[in-house]
Amino acid sequence: MHQSLSWWALPTLPDVPTEMLFYLIAYDIPCDKRRKKIADLLEGYGTRVQYSVFECILERAQYQELQKRLKKRYKSAEDSLRFYPLSQHTLSQVEVWGEPPLTRDSSSTVV
Amino acid sequence: MKSLYISQQGCYIALQQELLLVKQQKEILAQIQLPHLEQVLIFGKSQMTTQAIRACLWRDIPIVYLSRQGYCYGRIVAINRGFRQLARYQQELSLGERLSVARAIVAGKLSNSRTLLQRYARQPNRESLRLTVQSLDYLIDKARRADSIEQLLGYEGAGAGSYFSAFSECLQGNDFEFVARTRRPPGNPVNALLSFGYQVLWNHLLALIEIQGLDPYWACLHHSSERHAALASDLLEEFRAPFVDSLVLWLINKRIINASQDFEHRDGGCFLNNSGRKKYLKSFVGRMEETVQNRDGEPQPRWDLLLQQVKAFKQFVYQPSLGYCPYSIR
Repeated sequence: MHQSLSWWALPTLPDVPTEMLFYLIAYDIPCDKRRKKIADLLEGYGTRVQYSVFECILERAQYQELQKRLKKRYKSAEDSLRFYPLSQHTLSQVEVWGEPPLTRDSSSTVV
Repeated sequence: MKSLYISQQGCYIALQQELLLVKQQKEILAQIQLPHLEQVLIFGKSQMTTQAIRACLWRDIPIVYLSRQGYCYGRIVAINRGFRQLARYQQELSLGERLSVARAIVAGKLSNSRTLLQRYARQPNRESLRLTVQSLDYLIDKARRADSIEQLLGYEGAGAGSYFSAFSECLQGNDFEFVARTRRPPGNPVNALLSFGYQVLWNHLLALIEIQGLDPYWACLHHSSERHAALASDLLEEFRAPFVDSLVLWLINKRIINASQDFEHRDGGCFLNNSGRKKYLKSFVGRMEETVQNRDGEPQPRWDLLLQQVKAFKQFVYQPSLGYCPYSIR
């Protein structure tokens, strides 16, 4: 088992500013229309890392805003949404196999 | 502060759900997440759709329209920025309170210029830099005890004069020449870089002043007019040397900016062209996103230092007796 391990990489720790937290958000939504709406919303706050998994680096207020907006689009009888906050400690132990790399704090854009 | 800079010409910015898409012809150049965005700066001729503008206003993201050289034509801010409770307190400040802030600002500016020169003066054969540092020391002391705005402006002018003549000695290589500061229009590449840098920073400060609910037209040192948001100019002073001048020295001395390729000469002046502007903005953003320790000893991006000073000024308006303490390089 000493072959190349390059197909997976230990991520470098993303720089999460002190008052922000790293969240893993996963959903399971049967209705196509609702799923699209919820995914669109999440695209604004974080990065899609798998079909129904997003990684978001958010301030407390942004997180509350996101949840408030998600609540309006979510149907409790059918849908399932999960929010996992990661502390700096557990974040440093995250492993990523395959693409894309672990989400980093968004930065300014120059076009 | 997460900003979107559109420095290329002919871009088209559209809204797609929670994202801004920057397009040029059919190509998507960038996707920006609205919830993370704090301001949009458009240099030159690029368009934003009404839907995109509205989404920005909804989120309280100011949009600033500038010339390609960084001159601010105007800005779009949300309607709820109009109610300026704080501005009323600002107008009640006495002449003496304003003078005390003006003194702090000029002394702070000169002392940051002095620190920048001092770093270069440590290298051998820089005797003249050390002399300039001494004369700045003298002017800082004078500025702290000035008893009118006119006097202060005099010390500031004298300080800037000797500072900029020493500034040329910090430039390495022969591609860039700098004798004195020229503006409107800038006469050579170094002046073009400085002018553009000050304009960009000035606009950032203006946006922060607006967001914090202060009146940008009400200042302590600079003279306000209908066309001049003087508070942004006041707060710019302390940041000129550490944020712009040092970046310009770095861009030139590391040969990142090229004297023959990154500038254009027209209208009797020298200006950054498309590639130069983009290089400057990229480096500026990179530097502003680097983390440094703030006053509370916490690591924060440099952006935060701007916001801290705007908040410090706000604090002064609420409690003038505590005074205003400008940013100083560590």
